[in-house]
Amino acid sequence: MTYRTDLPVMLPVKRPEAEPFLGLKLWHMLPIALIAIIGPSLAFAQSSADGQTPFGILLNWAPLLLKGFIFNLVISVSAMALGTVGGAILGLGQISLFAPTRHGSWFVTQFFRNAPWLVLLFFAMFLLPFEINVFGLKIPFPDWFKAILGLSLPVMANVSEIVRGAVRSLPSGQWEAAESLAYTRLQTLWLIILPQCVKRMLPPWMNLYSILTMATVLASIVGVNEVMTLTGQALASEGGRPDLLAPFYGFVLLLFFVYCYPIAKFTVWLEKKYAVIT
Amino acid sequence: MNLKTLATTLVVSALSVTAASADILDTIKERGKLIVGTKADYKPYGFLDTDGNIIGIEPDLAKDVADKLGVEVEFVPVVSSNRMQFLEQGKIDLMIATMTDKPDRREIVLIPDPNYYSSGTNVLALKSLGLKEWEDLRGKPVCGIQGAFYNKATSQTYGAEIVAFKGTAEAYSALQGGNCAAFVYDDSAIVAKAAEPEWADYEMPLQTIDDAPWGLAVALGEDNFAELMSEMIIDWHKSGRILELETKWGVTNTPFAQAMHEKYK
Repeated sequence: MTYRTDLPVMLPVKRPEAEPFLGLKLWHMLPIALIAIIGPSLAFAQSSADGQTPFGILLNWAPLLLKGFIFNLVISVSAMALGTVGGAILGLGQISLFAPTRHGSWFVTQFFRNAPWLVLLFFAMFLLPFEINVFGLKIPFPDWFKAILGLSLPVMANVSEIVRGAVRSLPSGQWEAAESLAYTRLQTLWLIILPQCVKRMLPPWMNLYSILTMATVLASIVGVNEVMTLTGQALASEGGRPDLLAPFYGFVLLLFFVYCYPIAKFTVWLEKKYAVIT
Repeated sequence: MNLKTLATTLVVSALSVTAASADILDTIKERGKLIVGTKADYKPYGFLDTDGNIIGIEPDLAKDVADKLGVEVEFVPVVSSNRMQFLEQGKIDLMIATMTDKPDRREIVLIPDPNYYSSGTNVLALKSLGLKEWEDLRGKPVCGIQGAFYNKATSQTYGAEIVAFKGTAEAYSALQGGNCAAFVYDDSAIVAKAAEPEWADYEMPLQTIDDAPWGLAVALGEDNFAELMSEMIIDWHKSGRILELETKWGVTNTPFAQAMHEKYK
């Protein structure tokens, strides 16, 4: 927002942007992709015995790796959805007027927020059975589902803090005004507080999603067949050629960058949009 | 790994998830599918094609088993650190995953006799390094694969410092980059690698040690299945199936496979 005036005023300090290529658009990803993949391939341009260049080999494996990456996205979206539902409940629990709920929610939040993601993932992986018997009905518990559960735990705790923080950040006048209009607590929360919170929560929530997406590769350590696992297996299947390491891992890096960068840009835009002008 | 196994056992018993009480052969036939755990990153014993299917010597062996049972086969990729656990959990029916047959492993899973394969420990190193014996590795950094059995003797008996990597590609790269003096792995893979033109400067200079048999495994208590597998393995040796698969996947026939073929012929 700009204000015009003829009076001598002090203008706000303009800080230089950290991003060197301002306004990076989605189509810019294409040349970046080419540089990132072809670059290392050219650097290791000695072609192998069967005459295939590293880039050609990568091209052969790309569909499989992409499938793996989509699996990563499925894990991230599901873990985010689960974590958000759990976190919203936990976050509201943290502002409950009932002390045991408040303290309990606080403890759960702090516990999962301060635990390493990988450790939580290991817990989910190795402590849950691979199938559960419910009244003779076998419900399978596949690895990817356990990974989703494991990753949703820290997400839940972080969302809980985002919710609590957003509610706390609203001026107390909002609560007081609602009370003076004889709104019940539930009505105040649902009709007045939470709608204002959504705007505030969106940027940190999306940030968290970005971080979660990048953390899904942790699932490779516990044997889920996602993009990192597949990359390792693809490399082994090509006979462990060192010249393939850079193009293959470069490709994985790029997939994540192309996916996460627009989210980061969008988050910044949202932050600007909802910024409180003081 | 033992801790993990312990934890799993505890939880599994705590939740009283009943282990398959019925004979697993019946379960497999009922299901119409044999689920086999194999490596997916161990060329040529078990690796991926570009469509993501698991192929190699061990998957071929698993297919033979499925054919014998008259069912389909499904592969579950395993790694050294989870293969026995998957079998215990019942996630896989059969494990053929380059596992060295060890007494402590026989306490956890059921390994039918005779062994189907064998390999020993050796290293890949620069010719210019002039390694003569294992003792030369003492105190030197040696690349290895996480969870591999080969690391043990190299570090414990000969005092090398193991730098363990996730996969072979990373380990080979580290060796070329000079991060380690040698790469310790199974001898058949090293022979194949040293024969490649890009690895002309490298050699397998040492005497193979720990020549140890590989065991395929079924879950403890599945005696009928184990018996069937024993027959299968003898059949494989007798018919020269293992030798045939070695040739198919580009491995020089190993002395073990030849000896077993002679023995059961």
